[in-house]
Amino acid sequence: MEPLENNVSPEHPLAELATLVLGIALIGLGILAVAWLAVEGAVRFLPASVEQRVFAGATGRRSPELEALLERLARHWPENGYSPRVRIVELDAPNAFALPGGQLLVTSALLEQAGSENELAFVLGHELGHVAGRDPLRALGRGLLVSLALSALGGAEGASVAGSAAALGERSFSREQESVADRFGLALVAAEYGHVAGASDFLRRLPDAEASESAAAHAASWLATHPRSADRVAELEILARRQGFPTQGSLTPLPAGLRDP
Amino acid sequence: MADAIFQLGVPLFLLALGYFAGSMAEQSHYKSIRVRELRLRRMPTTNLRRPPAHWRVESITLVAGSAVISVDYFKRFLAQLRGFIGGRVRSYESLLDRARREAVLRMKEEAVQGGFDAVINVRLESTNIASPLRNDKGTAGVEVLAFGTALKLARSA
Repeated sequence: MEPLENNVSPEHPLAELATLVLGIALIGLGILAVAWLAVEGAVRFLPASVEQRVFAGATGRRSPELEALLERLARHWPENGYSPRVRIVELDAPNAFALPGGQLLVTSALLEQAGSENELAFVLGHELGHVAGRDPLRALGRGLLVSLALSALGGAEGASVAGSAAALGERSFSREQESVADRFGLALVAAEYGHVAGASDFLRRLPDAEASESAAAHAASWLATHPRSADRVAELEILARRQGFPTQGSLTPLPAGLRDP
Repeated sequence: MADAIFQLGVPLFLLALGYFAGSMAEQSHYKSIRVRELRLRRMPTTNLRRPPAHWRVESITLVAGSAVISVDYFKRFLAQLRGFIGGRVRSYESLLDRARREAVLRMKEEAVQGGFDAVINVRLESTNIASPLRNDKGTAGVEVLAFGTALKLARSA
């Protein structure tokens, strides 16, 4: 009697591999898509007051002058659900960040380089634009999602990759989000000063910095988290023309407390 | 970039190695199993606890055979993927099938060498080697042990 040999399923191992890989990838992508939509929904419907309470902690130095400037700008944003706060962090690279909960961070190097209040106001307005778009919360949610997905796939090894991916997701916003934030910031500056002169000074200074190497390293920080400056300057000019914002006007000097910290 | 190539390349290489080496080993093992099963198929092997009443048993002894078969990288990868969604773990089915048949063959070969005529009360035990619970990176293999009572029958006059 010939043995039946029916103890091993007849499917070819490579066919099984293909089925499993494709099937699991499809299911995984489906789950990821649903979770992505869930994050988007949560970001949209989570009240700003709740977000602000959850992300209450803040690091960095306070500055009454900077806070006053932010408050003046935020007054032109009436539907604002946050009470935005700003702190200074001691960093050699000029940059600014928006964190969940309406918390802004400005580096000390940015303050040192700033030539006018208008310039600083645009940077703050831009970051307020991210707050208005709820970008920091969205980035946090997406970052968490990506790290969860990676660690589910790769176990312990995936988790370390996931950590860096999550950090990436927290830091950089999409081009679209940056454009929207630019538009928001420019409108705030126009409402506060009656013109947008000096608004793009900070961006203009970045390409010059590329001339020297150490300065290029400084600029790298901003460029790593923001789109190319020249493109944005051009975009801002078009925007000002379209909105009818005057591009000429007298610049307001920096408040005394910010000029010599 | 080089890091990414390394991180992706090493598992891919191990996967290919596991597939080709594993399939070759499996095919040659099955070939040997089939030949030997055919050769030994006339020896009665049963899990009955007692010999049939009309057998005149001259002597008995314990015979045992065991086989340990290792899993390869490809099979383990397939089984891990299978673990996400469930279903028949085909890649491990062949391991256990080979181990079981090899163990029975070794047991019967031992009986043949001792001049015995039949093996009764055959039992099979299986266990896994280097439990993945204790050390995930350990080589997981399976052992199957077959043992039974070999009988030498008196030649009827």
